[in-house]
Parts: sequence; C-alpha cells; structure tokens
Amino acid sequence: MNDYEKDGGGRGGGRGAAGKGKDDKDKAGRRGGGFFRRRRVCKFCVEKIDYVSYKDVKVLTPFIPERGKIQPRRISGTCAKHQRALQVAIKRARQLALIPYVTD
Amino acid sequence: MSIHRQYELVYIASPDATEEALAELHQQVATVVARFEGTIERTENWGRRRLAYEINRQREGVYVLELLNGPAAMTAELDRRLRVIDGVMRHMVIRVDEVLAKDERSKTRRKANTVARRLRRGLPAEPTEQELSRRKQEMDDADGGNDSFGEGDR
Repeated sequence: MNDYEKDGGGRGGGRGAAGKGKDDKDKAGRRGGGFFRRRRVCKFCVEKIDYVSYKDVKVLTPFIPERGKIQPRRISGTCAKHQRALQVAIKRARQLALIPYVTD
Repeated sequence: MSIHRQYELVYIASPDATEEALAELHQQVATVVARFEGTIERTENWGRRRLAYEINRQREGVYVLELLNGPAAMTAELDRRLRVIDGVMRHMVIRVDEVLAKDERSKTRRKANTVARRLRRGLPAEPTEQELSRRKQEMDDADGGNDSFGEGDR
C-alpha cells in the first residue's frame, strides 16, 4: 500500500515525461541498495487458489488500491501466473460493476 | 450435434424489477437455451447489490447468475437478446468448462500428492485433529512475527 502511494506521488509531481523515466530508475536503484525488502509471496500460491474468479470480490479487493488501478506485481508479490489470472478476473468484475474502474 | 460447453451467464436486472419480471427474464433465457438444446445447470440469485459505478443512472442492481450447458451459437443468441431487453442493465457470458476442469484437476492432484507424501512418512492419510490445531497455532505465530517486521521497515 505504502509503496504504491509513493510511486503515485512521484508520477503526479508535475514533471515532464522526460524527467519521469530517470526519476523512476533512480528510485529503484536506491531502494535496491539500502532499503530492506520484505520477502514477498504470492497470496494465491500460498492459499492454493488455482482459479481466480471474478465473483469473489473479497479476494480481488486487496489488489485494488484506492485509485482503483490493478496493483502491480512488484508491489503485491503475486507470481506471474496468478497475476495474469487476477488481471482477467478484475477486468471481468469491473464490467459487472462489482469493482470500480476508477475512484477518486 | 454441435459441441456443448459450459458457460456462465451473469446479468444485472434493474433494481425496480419485480419478482415476476425476474421470473420472466429467467424464462426468456430458458427458452433460448432450450431452443439450442442446452440445459440450465444452476441458477443463483445474488439479490440486490450496490453497483461500483452508476449504470443507467442506477446505483443498485439485481444480480443473477446462470450456469449453462450448450453450443457456442447459444451464447451468441443470448448475448444478442440480452442486449435488447430493457430490464437488463448489463450482462456477460463467459466460458468456464476449461478453467473449472483445470481447477478441479490441480486440486485432486494436490490432494493425492499430500496423501502419498504422508503415507511415505508413515502418517495416516488425513491429518489428525491434534496436527491441525498445532498447524493453526504455528500459522498465527508466523503471521504475528511477519507483521512487526514489516512495520519496522516502513
């Protein structure tokens, strides 16, 4: 959650597109160096959920930060296989108005 | 005969739909399904739910899920019909046979593996009452430890 907000803040800082890429790289480098990284595990692998259904809103909501976007893998720690499944599930749930497209 | 597959149909009826209107909708779906020689396996009414965003100036909707078996042509027809019906605000048909079968397969495989592993170690196939309670205890402990770790870092 916190990571996400930090990222969002950097992007919304009113800088131009040219500055953005550099800033991101910079930040990642710093984080890789000094910061402690919590070991991230895929929630779906741990709970042994194979089929991520669009109907289980309770399962999906932790992966949707306040803004309503899909949380990236680098933050949530979801494995590639389950992130793909999650992405489809979230998009379906959005179509059925179970989850918002945007919230502000 | 064309190939029959399993589909999931969800539609959102307008919140001021009466019981009869809902039954009527279900009937319409059933007729289309019957025409294509399909079957309705199960019908779930999720009832009135809040929508995540407004659709047709409504903030609520009545969700109905139908689990269908039938040919692909059936879904095309259902899609076309549901789009025309005024009482339906939104609908979606998705194919589920493959994913459900896959889910089932990996679940049984996982279970079989666990049993085999346990038997190899000379344990009974199913975990005993005692083991379950101990495992739960360990899980709770692990969670607690992790949380404090994470918070210190932020």
